Amino acid sequence: MSPPGGVHAAVAHDSARKHVTGEAVYLDDMPEPKGCLHAHLVTSPWPHARLTAIDAAAALAVPGVAAIVTAADIPGVNDIAPAFSSEPLLPPEVAEYVGHPVAAVAAASPAQAREAASLVRLEATPLPALLDLREAYEKKRWVLDPVEMLRGEPDAELAKAAVRLDGELMVGGQEHFYLETQCALAVPQEDGDMLVLSGTQHPTEVQHMVARLLGIPQHAVAVEVRRMGGGFGGKESQATLVAGIAAVLARKTARPVKLRLDRDTDMTVTGKRHDFLLRWQVGLDGEGRIRAVTMDLAARCGWSADLSAAVISRALSHADNAYFYPHARLRGLACKTNTQSNTAFRGFGGPQGMMAAETMMDQIARTLGRDPVAIRRLNFYARESGCDVTPYHQRIEHFRLPSMVERILASSEYSTRRKAVDAFNAGSPVIRKGLALSPVKFGISFNKIELNQAGALVHVYTDGSIRLNHGGTEMGQGLLVKVAQVVAEAFSVPLEAVKITATTTDKVPNTSATAASSGSDLNGMAALQAAETIKGRLAEVAAARFGVAASEVAFADGMVRAGNHALPFAEIVQEAYRARVSLSATGYYRTPRIDFDLAAMRGHPFFYFAHGVAVSEVAIDTLTGEWRPLRSDLLHDVGSSLNPAIDRGQVEGAFVQGLGWLTMEELVWDGEGRLLTHGPSTYKIPTGRDVPPDFRVELLTLPNEEATVFRSKAVGEPPFMLAISVWLALRDAVASLGPAGHVPQLAAPATPERILGAVAAARTAGGRR
Amino acid sequence: MRPEIRFFLNGRPCRLSGLPPHTTLLEWLRGQGLTAVKEGCAEGDCGACSVLIGTPRRARLDWRAVNACILMLPQVDGRAVVTAEGLARGDGSLHPAQRLLADTHGTQCGFCSPGFAIALAALARRPERDDETILDAIAGNLCRCTGYRPILEAARALPVIAPAVEEAEIAATLERDCAQPLDYRAGGGRFVAPRDLDAALAVLAEEPEAWVLAGGTDLGLRITKRHEEPRCVVSLARVGELAAVGREGRDTVIGAAVPYADALEAISALAPSVGALVRRIGAAQIRAVGTIGGNLANASPIGDTLPPLIALGASVELASREGRRTVAVEDFVTGYRKTVLRPGEVVVSVRIPAPGAATLVRAYKVARRIDQDIAAVSAAFALSVEDGRVTRARVAFGGIAERPLRTPEVEVALTGRLWSLETARAAGEAARRAVRPISDVRGSAGYRATVCGNLLERLWWDTAGPAGVAATLDALEGAP
Ligand SMILES: Cc1cc2nc3c(=O)[nH]c(=O)nc-3n(C[C@H](O)[C@H](O)[C@H](O)COP(=O)(O)OP(=O)(O)OC[C@H]3O[C@@H](n4cnc5c(N)ncnc54)[C@H](O)[C@@H]3O)c2cc1C
Ligand code: FES
Ligand code: FES
Repeated sequence: MSPPGGVHAAVAHDSARKHVTGEAVYLDDMPEPKGCLHAHLVTSPWPHARLTAIDAAAALAVPGVAAIVTAADIPGVNDIAPAFSSEPLLPPEVAEYVGHPVAAVAAASPAQAREAASLVRLEATPLPALLDLREAYEKKRWVLDPVEMLRGEPDAELAKAAVRLDGELMVGGQEHFYLETQCALAVPQEDGDMLVLSGTQHPTEVQHMVARLLGIPQHAVAVEVRRMGGGFGGKESQATLVAGIAAVLARKTARPVKLRLDRDTDMTVTGKRHDFLLRWQVGLDGEGRIRAVTMDLAARCGWSADLSAAVISRALSHADNAYFYPHARLRGLACKTNTQSNTAFRGFGGPQGMMAAETMMDQIARTLGRDPVAIRRLNFYARESGCDVTPYHQRIEHFRLPSMVERILASSEYSTRRKAVDAFNAGSPVIRKGLALSPVKFGISFNKIELNQAGALVHVYTDGSIRLNHGGTEMGQGLLVKVAQVVAEAFSVPLEAVKITATTTDKVPNTSATAASSGSDLNGMAALQAAETIKGRLAEVAAARFGVAASEVAFADGMVRAGNHALPFAEIVQEAYRARVSLSATGYYRTPRIDFDLAAMRGHPFFYFAHGVAVSEVAIDTLTGEWRPLRSDLLHDVGSSLNPAIDRGQVEGAFVQGLGWLTMEELVWDGEGRLLTHGPSTYKIPTGRDVPPDFRVELLTLPNEEATVFRSKAVGEPPFMLAISVWLALRDAVASLGPAGHVPQLAAPATPERILGAVAAARTAGGRR
Repeated sequence: MRPEIRFFLNGRPCRLSGLPPHTTLLEWLRGQGLTAVKEGCAEGDCGACSVLIGTPRRARLDWRAVNACILMLPQVDGRAVVTAEGLARGDGSLHPAQRLLADTHGTQCGFCSPGFAIALAALARRPERDDETILDAIAGNLCRCTGYRPILEAARALPVIAPAVEEAEIAATLERDCAQPLDYRAGGGRFVAPRDLDAALAVLAEEPEAWVLAGGTDLGLRITKRHEEPRCVVSLARVGELAAVGREGRDTVIGAAVPYADALEAISALAPSVGALVRRIGAAQIRAVGTIGGNLANASPIGDTLPPLIALGASVELASREGRRTVAVEDFVTGYRKTVLRPGEVVVSVRIPAPGAATLVRAYKVARRIDQDIAAVSAAFALSVEDGRVTRARVAFGGIAERPLRTPEVEVALTGRLWSLETARAAGEAARRAVRPISDVRGSAGYRATVCGNLLERLWWDTAGPAGVAATLDALEGAP
């Protein structure tokens, strides 16, 4: 029996009460250390320019100003590239986008720092700038060499196919819009050490980069993060920029320095979700079964590589979504533009890859005049018929989608509503409805194998209370409470007995980013392992005390038992202390069964898959292109959920975030490379009214077939892509205006303007109205 | 005159002096350690900085959520301010809004949560719990994590909370302590809040550079985004004559300093469609302080109230030391952010004649998002239809030129014609030719022009289309 708050219990987020009262402390809420300075960035107004002079005289004359730093002030190595090299913290010579930080000022108050930064005079020789994704693609301007995922003989098979279709789709990027903007506080310590409080999903990376920037050993830097006000991938590699600049300024001034980006600066400086240009050719047999696919997935990486290689690799490995491509060649192209360096964002390229697959499916169904659900099911992976190998050569096991689709078709009354929508449209001249189903199959594990490891540290104190530490960071996803539930379960103690603490690099070293939905899989297992180690020692102690074999000792309901013997947990702990048995242990976990050759793009990169399926209904106004969600049904596969309430929150939140990405969130740059949408007044994320008024979410809680932590499944990213159903439903509504076989031309995000354009195109294609 | 700002903060009296008047309430509260009030945008668009403001009214406090980020500290003079820290009771027990948000799993990262607690606490004072009211109450609060479903659930379960006894006392204290008008000076800046119009005009005459302030939802951004520091601010918010809503014969007269939230009822009574549009101006936090007077004087091409006021034939009364005059709204705005206002002159009120019984009034706002968004285009129509024929038409558009415009071409295309789909389409064609929009982040020129034309078609479906046919998304059954 689980203790109260053990695994599978729908307990609240550990900080829920503190969130609503404001007691939960975020970085900018902390009392500032004595003498703390505030930093402000000096950014490039040019999209591409050779810097010739940085004149700080006027800035330094502003009262309260303590220092300015440029590339020349970095004592160590000026490179913060998370995966490759040559991505300077501050560029020594060339500014590569509008917003590129080229210097930073520290002053006694944020206002003084801002004023001083505005007085720094930059001189530069402008260089030709490339701002457009399509242009970069056509001119083959890459930040990284093209990669290819190949299986079979796609060209030959395409040539032989009964039907050949090609298509293209532009999918826009997305601003993370974490409610808390990026922030870091660097506090110099004795011996030249540096303590950095950083809003980062990757404390280890901040630690390693700060050490490198300052030219000191990694042991001299400690990085701590208690919580972030949202991350979504935006605080994975890019938090390093903020922390790095704070640290360099702190080193130069020998005073604590805080750098908090205001919203406009944050949006102007930091990278976003990659926008993609997707192109495909597909060959089909007479029934609509896919024979071969070739695709180009071209990503706007921005000025530097950052994490783009991994983003593209995940895009390629999700361009199949749930469908079997017997022959496939998928090319990933890392386009270089003079814009922000795009980065991790929930789904990490997976959503963009899946958009190619789902748009292609929609096109196939409409062109052949077949039901879109039937075409999808026809092309699903199927073990029985040998259709179970992905383009990256991993064999699909435990594929849950066929039965999940069955289930949601029934629970959403899909076929009745399909008829109702068609009937409505037949009699509705202005408003049109659309209905669509879309599946999700999302691979779990980092594609880069070395990242699939984690550590934890568990201390048991003599009163039986437990302090838990691991490498995972809390950004709202409920990771800390989930891992605490795992530890409570292991010791069979109430959840309150487990203390959740800040993540720090000096407790658990060399950790991976909290990313790729892997947080609870990896850290939960590492913490469980640490707990099991201590439990093993306690069992020995209890066995000696009770005079039984250690294997007979059980932990249940806060008690340690064997046969007729029972003692409270705390007493056994005290007994262990007296017996001089260690009550502290580290835990370590590495994901089994995975391997991936990044150069050949083949292997078994995913430990398992998480699945989901959604049915969405929408309405559009054919006079303005405005639209409304009407109903969405979601069925999502979470394994034996560690915490169904938290998981449901992830599913709903991800879906709404995905809905924003595909419909209203649009990034707009002007012809000079200036981002025009740098605040919520111009960049619109969903509000409460944009959520489907009829929103039905069901979790599928069948145990994971793989031995994950208590057979749960990762949940952070996969449900994001359920929102593709909304976008497909919008296309469906548009299609109702065109002739039979009309394939709507609708790019993402489907803004009212784009919807109205697609409506006009459908109407001029002739036919029904 | 009183040189010191007086208000209540979380139940305690506060007196302030020495801080520059352009200090924002957000900055100051956070400096006091009240860090539940968060900065998410500093432009009034995210609600993370929401606080409750209580205004003494009829011996009690009238509570509304507002954005602290764009409020100047002296604007809270004479008010009670409550932050999320102040919602919880002294014994540590949570306010029902907080308890419900926590219990329904309505927080994830928690950064938006104090703001939502405030929005829900404002809602708790009202009796309605229908979804429309709830969505209105939270439309100004962004959450990037939860997808809102649990927050809506918390709101639906929210009990109605009666005013506490202390509130009458606080209201009385504030009225007494702030009986003298505020004239606050610090850090080289001045903030004056006169009680009568003559006094306000007198200060404006002596301070020609002064900012005229109503709700500050436009002016606040000049402080937080453009980092301007006004030397003198003259607030009209406490001028009695500007704060009233009344009827004069068939006209409704709305004082220039009346916040949208207080004008809504009168406007909805006049023309429900215009009321619906006003409900889409900003969100609750903006409508709690923003005014029609400010919208007019701000003279933005996308000011939402201008097209309907033009279509309804409204006029504004202006006053300066030289005297008063009345100007038709369509003549009031002369160019991009330009009006006929002379130095030292202010808007006193807006006069809106009641539309005739045979007049169809519609106001449409087309935007990417339903709530808290700026229109790509907006349009307003007042159409008199007798025996199926249009006898009189006034048509105005916003977002289509450097200022909102009346379009006589469209009116001509309508007047005297049968009110039919053909007429609507022909008038739509005229509209497309008449407007001169630009391309920006909210839409291309082509899209805007097309939509202007299409809105005439919508007007026909909406006013004369067959029964049972949905003309708009709002008319759709089951739509949000
Ligand atoms: C988040 C947000 C959302 C918004 N959404 C919308 C929207 O949907 N639609 C829309 O139209 N607007 C919107 N606005 C803009 C703004 O809220 C409105 O224009 C509002 O009506 C301004 O009124 P105010 O009282 O706050 O004006 P203030 O900011 O006080 O003043 C605005 C201008 O008018 C002048 N002024 C004010 N009153 C007078 C007077 N009586 N006589 C002479 N001059 C005067 C001021 O000097 C200033 O130049 C939004 C603003 C924000 C911050
Ligand atoms: S900080 Fe976003 S509304 Fe005030
Ligand atoms: S809980 Fe993170 S923004 Fe709402």
